[in-house]
Amino acid sequence: MKTSAVKVKDLVKNFGELRVLDNVSFEVEESSLTTIVGFSGCGKSTLLNVLAGIESITSGIAEVNCSNDSSTRLGYVFQSPRLLPWQTIEQNLLFVRPNDIDEETHSKRVLKYLEMVGLKNVRHKFPYQLSGGMQQRAGIARALCIEPAVLLMDEPFSHLDEITAGGMREEMLRIWEETHRTILFVTHDMQEAVELGDRLIMLDYHGRIFADLKIDLPRPRNLTEREFIYFYSDILQHLQKMQSIRAEELAELGLN
Amino acid sequence: MSVALSVSTNQSSTTVGKRVAKYLKGLVNHKGWLAIVLVLIFWQTISLLLGGHGLVPSPIRTAAVMWDVLVSGEFFVQLGDSMARLLIGFTLAMTMGLIVGVMSGSRWFWNEFFKDVIVLGLSLPGLVYALLSVVIFGTNLMAPVMAILFASYPFIAVNIREGVKAMDKDILDMTQAYKVGKWKVIKNVIMPSLLPHFLAAIRTGFTIAWKVSVLTEVFGATSGIGYMIRFNFQMFAVRGILAWSLLFGFVMLVIEYGILVPAERRFARWRPNISEVVK
Repeated sequence: MKTSAVKVKDLVKNFGELRVLDNVSFEVEESSLTTIVGFSGCGKSTLLNVLAGIESITSGIAEVNCSNDSSTRLGYVFQSPRLLPWQTIEQNLLFVRPNDIDEETHSKRVLKYLEMVGLKNVRHKFPYQLSGGMQQRAGIARALCIEPAVLLMDEPFSHLDEITAGGMREEMLRIWEETHRTILFVTHDMQEAVELGDRLIMLDYHGRIFADLKIDLPRPRNLTEREFIYFYSDILQHLQKMQSIRAEELAELGLN
Repeated sequence: MSVALSVSTNQSSTTVGKRVAKYLKGLVNHKGWLAIVLVLIFWQTISLLLGGHGLVPSPIRTAAVMWDVLVSGEFFVQLGDSMARLLIGFTLAMTMGLIVGVMSGSRWFWNEFFKDVIVLGLSLPGLVYALLSVVIFGTNLMAPVMAILFASYPFIAVNIREGVKAMDKDILDMTQAYKVGKWKVIKNVIMPSLLPHFLAAIRTGFTIAWKVSVLTEVFGATSGIGYMIRFNFQMFAVRGILAWSLLFGFVMLVIEYGILVPAERRFARWRPNISEVVK
């Protein structure tokens, strides 16, 4: 039985009076790809920020474990690449070297992952000299080069056009199959969530888990296959249910 | 070994030669010359209309005085005195501006605390600082140093404050997620993102410092460029006033093109060239 790479228990996160995450509990298996979906403002990104240590916890537990080595490192791919504009692509990756990894080992890893995402030839370029898709790939390589226990991805393809995003999804799945990293992937795109994940966690408007579904579809997934369409329509039903509950809540408050 | 050494020396001299040639080419192609030529024509016309000498001496007559001042070496002696005062005052202003700017930019309390003092500092003319310093400190070194410090630091503080405020929080969050060490963040994130504001602070602060320094020397000093301008004024030598003022301006141009512009160019390699953006 696989161990848990991520453990979240009774997690609560408040921003002042506003509760963003409300008693969230789940565990993520090692080497799995879990997608987290929900509407804008439901706390998806906050959940990743809490796991990454960017945001503090109000109460509960949010921790990262790894059985095969002592590393609890986290790689984070953000919505925008967040590269240092004054450093070259290679320097950006060298910059995040963990303290327990020597420079030589890290340099080798940087080249390895730059090659994996197809950016080895442009590693001496500055970010502005690359396209949006290439910059995002550099962000993915930066997250991978520290060989993290868990890779957090926060709507990494939402700023890209659909053709580029489609290519990036394929590339991401190839890297995932190659590296066996545990991935926690946040998106608001339900189709993307079903296409990528082997588990789907849906958050409601109050930052609570509304549904937790296993996606048992064969890979590579074809969006036009009957199984995919059935599963996707099931997800849409969950969404409709969530929206009707929300509508009732708003009606009770006298709001439309 | 000697062959290798001579080869490398030749290479380096070629590189220096290329650089000098590139610099001279840039100087010849500099569009600012046209404006300078137009100013000189305008000046010459006014001078001719007013009789060629006296109140408005011609550019050629002024250039002759400038040449004399340069050849005699007097300019460099006076420049040395002015520069010494300026550097002491400006270093203090830079230090104070940096401290106030970083504090104001990073903490709400300090921003509120310094806000009005900075606005007051910005609004007072340099003349006030120069006059007050001479009255309080007399003709010693403290007068120009204090005048420069208080006239210049608000401009530096404002630039630095805005730089700190404009720092990209997303990038700082990224460094936190990747658990990058504090010093590494200061060196690789904070300093480079502050650099354009730092250079702007130096440029603005230095210009103010120069002006106030000369003004203080005009009112109360026994040497320096400002003193020489006052001396020529007392002699009613308009050519002298113009010659010393223009030489003072040229020093500023040398600092601009010799230090500030190359520094900006070097530190802004990572930015797209404006011609790449606006076509």
